[in-house]
Amino acid sequence: MASLIACPHCGPRPKEEFTVRGDAGITRPAPDAGEDAWYAYVYLRDNPRGRHREHWHHTSGCRRWLVVERDTMTHTIYTVADASAEGETA
Amino acid sequence: MADFALLHRPALADAKSGSFGAPSTVKRITLAALPEGHVLHVLAARGSGDLQGLIPRIGDGTPHAARPYGPGQWFVIGDAPLSSAEIFGKTPILDGKASISDQGHGRVRIGINGAAVETVLAKGTAVDLALSNFPVGHSAMTLIGHISALLSRTGKESFELLVLRGFAESLWDELIQMSLEFGVDAHTGK
Ligand SMILES: [Zn+2]
Repeated sequence: MASLIACPHCGPRPKEEFTVRGDAGITRPAPDAGEDAWYAYVYLRDNPRGRHREHWHHTSGCRRWLVVERDTMTHTIYTVADASAEGETA
Repeated sequence: MADFALLHRPALADAKSGSFGAPSTVKRITLAALPEGHVLHVLAARGSGDLQGLIPRIGDGTPHAARPYGPGQWFVIGDAPLSSAEIFGKTPILDGKASISDQGHGRVRIGINGAAVETVLAKGTAVDLALSNFPVGHSAMTLIGHISALLSRTGKESFELLVLRGFAESLWDELIQMSLEFGVDAHTGK
């Protein structure tokens, strides 16, 4: 797990200030997409080794949702952006 | 109309008070329970643009009354208690660009100052408190240990912490603990 996240609004903060929601790349299915699509959306996640884009919430800071791209193996943080920025959220 | 009268009891009325720790006089820390006047939470409406100039106008005119801590989010604080009518009376100033929620019941302020104040607070937060990075008037929401608080610099050697009321006494005790090596005078105002 990465130790310091450079929040675009608050600067570098320890991971304890954040809550991780998980994969930022999944898209909410249409209401009538069927049980399999909804089951996958709610429950099924990959467990990637390497680069991964995730939603992180700066819970104890600015309370903004962020998209953090990090390496699950090396703990390197590549990018941190506000989730409301264009193109950040599917 | 409330069915029964609510009693206002200051959150830190029964907290530890007095002098603690080292007998040092040079870097001594002072803690103060600040008046529970008003605490207004101000949230910008979507797409309302830059409101940095507007928000201080709902404050009481004292320096550092409006404290930004994230995009479109402020706390506006002051020593005077405000009725809900007085708070509602401020909304036209914002012209629909932001909304106000009274948090006077929910958060209280603690003042901390002294030559070693940066060293003391740095024991609890990862925020860089150097004057060059955290100038007078700057605010940051952060964790002090496990307790979330809005940290604001009000002077070269003075800060204020805005903390949830129920956590105020725990934070107070921790700040005393963090200050022991320099000596600390804690004033609850009793
Ligand atoms: Zn932040």
